[in-house]
Amino acid sequence: MQRKRSLTPYLFLTPALIVISVFILYPIIAVIYYSFTDYSIVTPPVWVGIKNYQQLVKDTVFWQALSHSLIYLLVTPVLIILCIILAIIVNRKLPGIHIFRAIYYVPVISGSIAVGISWRLMLDTNGLLNSLLLSLGIVQEPIQWLAEPAYTLAIAMIMTTWMGLGYYMMVFLAGLQNIPEELYDAALIDGCNNVQKHWHVSIPGLRPQIVFVAVISSLAAMEVFNEIYILYGPLGGVLNSGVTMVFYLWRQAFRLQHAGYASAVAMVLLVITLAFSISNIRILERGTEAS
Amino acid sequence: MNTKILVKIFAPLMIVALLLAACAQPTPIIQTVEVPKEVVTTVEVEKQVIQTQVVEKIVEVTPTPGPNPEAVISGVESDCEIGFWTFWLSPTFDDYIKNTIASFEETYPGVKVNWEDHQATFQDDLRNAFAAGSAPDVINLSVSEGWVSDYATKGLLLPLDDKVPQEVKDMYFPGLWNEQLVDGVNYQFPWYQGINVELVNKQIFDQAGLTLEDFPATIDGLPGLCSTIKDKTGTLCDVRLTVNDLLAQMVYEGGVKVISDDGKTFTFDSPEAAAWLQMYVDMVKAGTVDKTVLVTDQDRAGLDLFTTGKAAFYQTGPNLIREVRSNNPGLYGYLGVVQAPVGKSNVLGKGLMSISVKNDTQCPNASIALAQYFTNPRNMLDFSKLVAVYPSTPASYDDPFFSAEPVAIEDSAKPIAKDIISKYADIVPTIPNKADVNQIVLDAVQQALFNNVDPQQALTDAVTKANALIQQ
Repeated sequence: MQRKRSLTPYLFLTPALIVISVFILYPIIAVIYYSFTDYSIVTPPVWVGIKNYQQLVKDTVFWQALSHSLIYLLVTPVLIILCIILAIIVNRKLPGIHIFRAIYYVPVISGSIAVGISWRLMLDTNGLLNSLLLSLGIVQEPIQWLAEPAYTLAIAMIMTTWMGLGYYMMVFLAGLQNIPEELYDAALIDGCNNVQKHWHVSIPGLRPQIVFVAVISSLAAMEVFNEIYILYGPLGGVLNSGVTMVFYLWRQAFRLQHAGYASAVAMVLLVITLAFSISNIRILERGTEAS
Repeated sequence: MNTKILVKIFAPLMIVALLLAACAQPTPIIQTVEVPKEVVTTVEVEKQVIQTQVVEKIVEVTPTPGPNPEAVISGVESDCEIGFWTFWLSPTFDDYIKNTIASFEETYPGVKVNWEDHQATFQDDLRNAFAAGSAPDVINLSVSEGWVSDYATKGLLLPLDDKVPQEVKDMYFPGLWNEQLVDGVNYQFPWYQGINVELVNKQIFDQAGLTLEDFPATIDGLPGLCSTIKDKTGTLCDVRLTVNDLLAQMVYEGGVKVISDDGKTFTFDSPEAAAWLQMYVDMVKAGTVDKTVLVTDQDRAGLDLFTTGKAAFYQTGPNLIREVRSNNPGLYGYLGVVQAPVGKSNVLGKGLMSISVKNDTQCPNASIALAQYFTNPRNMLDFSKLVAVYPSTPASYDDPFFSAEPVAIEDSAKPIAKDIISKYADIVPTIPNKADVNQIVLDAVQQALFNNVDPQQALTDAVTKANALIQQ
């Protein structure tokens, strides 16, 4: 009877453990192994030791991709600031405010592929943006937005921010609605104006949501792929100007068929992402304890 | 006395008469039996008619003795089930593919074909299938994208030269049969071919004061044409680099020798190569080309720009004119078609699609038979009648379909198709680490186009990197 009882929880856990083992543990172990091999997907892997990692150190495009991924992290603070402002704006009891909340959420449910295609059409040489600029006389010739290295990353980052606004705004809105109204009343009695009351009440009250959004959005920024692929195709922008870590990983694995080398890139990305997430949570938690 | 004499005479006669009468069948019985006799006769006649019909039927369905003339591959394994993947043919050509498979299964009884069509993810699906050991037996591969040599180099395709009878090889244009050779061995049956033409927007040409006759016959004429169009109409040229295989583009357009004869040293930094790249650099600097299209790997991007009426011309196959017609019928009426300009190699082009067999198939002869069947003269002719593609077998062009006067603009290449296709040849040598070297070349070309690096310097740097790569 005792033995039966002790087995029961494990039996309940078994389905989940099987799924986790097959779809998470095994792939991670396989990638670690492949990162030490020369593997082209269609032929069996050949053990090469740390050669892939040595090659990574000397690979200029890899460092370029890493720097692009780090630059992409700028999306996170921009998203947090814009989403908090937007959440405060829509957190009012105004007629029709639900419609605005729904409109801000539309890009989230549209999907990155559909959004990417519409942005591509908009930014095309003969697209909407150039037509507007030409008709207003701001430019004399259409700008080839998608073929200018200087704009590549910025355009993708703006698109990512635009797509994420609605979702993260909802997170902050839910947080704002949990802050007791009395705190705002107390702040007003203490002489705070409208901006100050949010600075002293809303922002500290939203700290758990800020931690959540910071971690989730920075992980998403480090792993950006769809935006780059849809906007710039398999080249990742001219002169590798839009190549991020995950994009480089994809190119190595599926375009050049260096799955072993791509696995080494994936391992580096895993280490960076883990380190970044842990430090992110620690810093923000420390701030919570201090406040 | 007289009575006695009469008795003596008539008594024997009577006895004889009675005896005869007793032996003979009585007359009324004979009459009664005659009726059933007639019934029996009628039944026999009916039976004969039925039997005649049956005999006639048997004569009709009995095949002519001898093999099916389209069953040209011998030793086909019985009870074989083979997989067949095509590239982007469904749903438009479902009927054609299914009917051809059905007639193949009749031609080679005992072989069953399982067909799948894969589209945008074809390459990923195929690589994964090879990795998982579940690749199809027969595969539709692109020659123009270099897929055949990619897979053949890795030992994944079946060499065909010693497995296909000479009379079957002779069915195809020699230039097409000898494409994508790896170490001199062929791995593909040439399938449907395309002809590159320039679709011209005659409205923009008119605005620029140009006629179709002004379209350059050689690639060197493009910069001048683009300059005229930009100056007169403000329209950018819709030209595309083959970013997936720039080495091939260099060979065909620039007449560049890309690798030494022994295959150990790259040579694509020659003056010819630098001149080829300089031509594109000059067009970018002059602002006469759409840079987004120039470096896209998507043919559709260039076609879409042309279809929206924003480009003066675009190089593609006549089969894609249907896209212009369906997406912008207004432009269709202003379409012109001219032959695509030829490069310094003077070779008009290379093949488009082929069918290969995987190396470790369990049914090699059945797989070869299917690949051959789809590419035989009759089946390719049937395919050409559905869409503007062209057979790789000279015999297909004997059909009046190809000699008939073209009616629609899509058909304008038909009368000259045989001549053009017969001159197709793969003049790109086997290149080690081809994908990596092409990536190095792509980086170099972009440096020259967009980062003001001197074309000669960019190519020299690329050759150094590529040589280091193959010497590893």
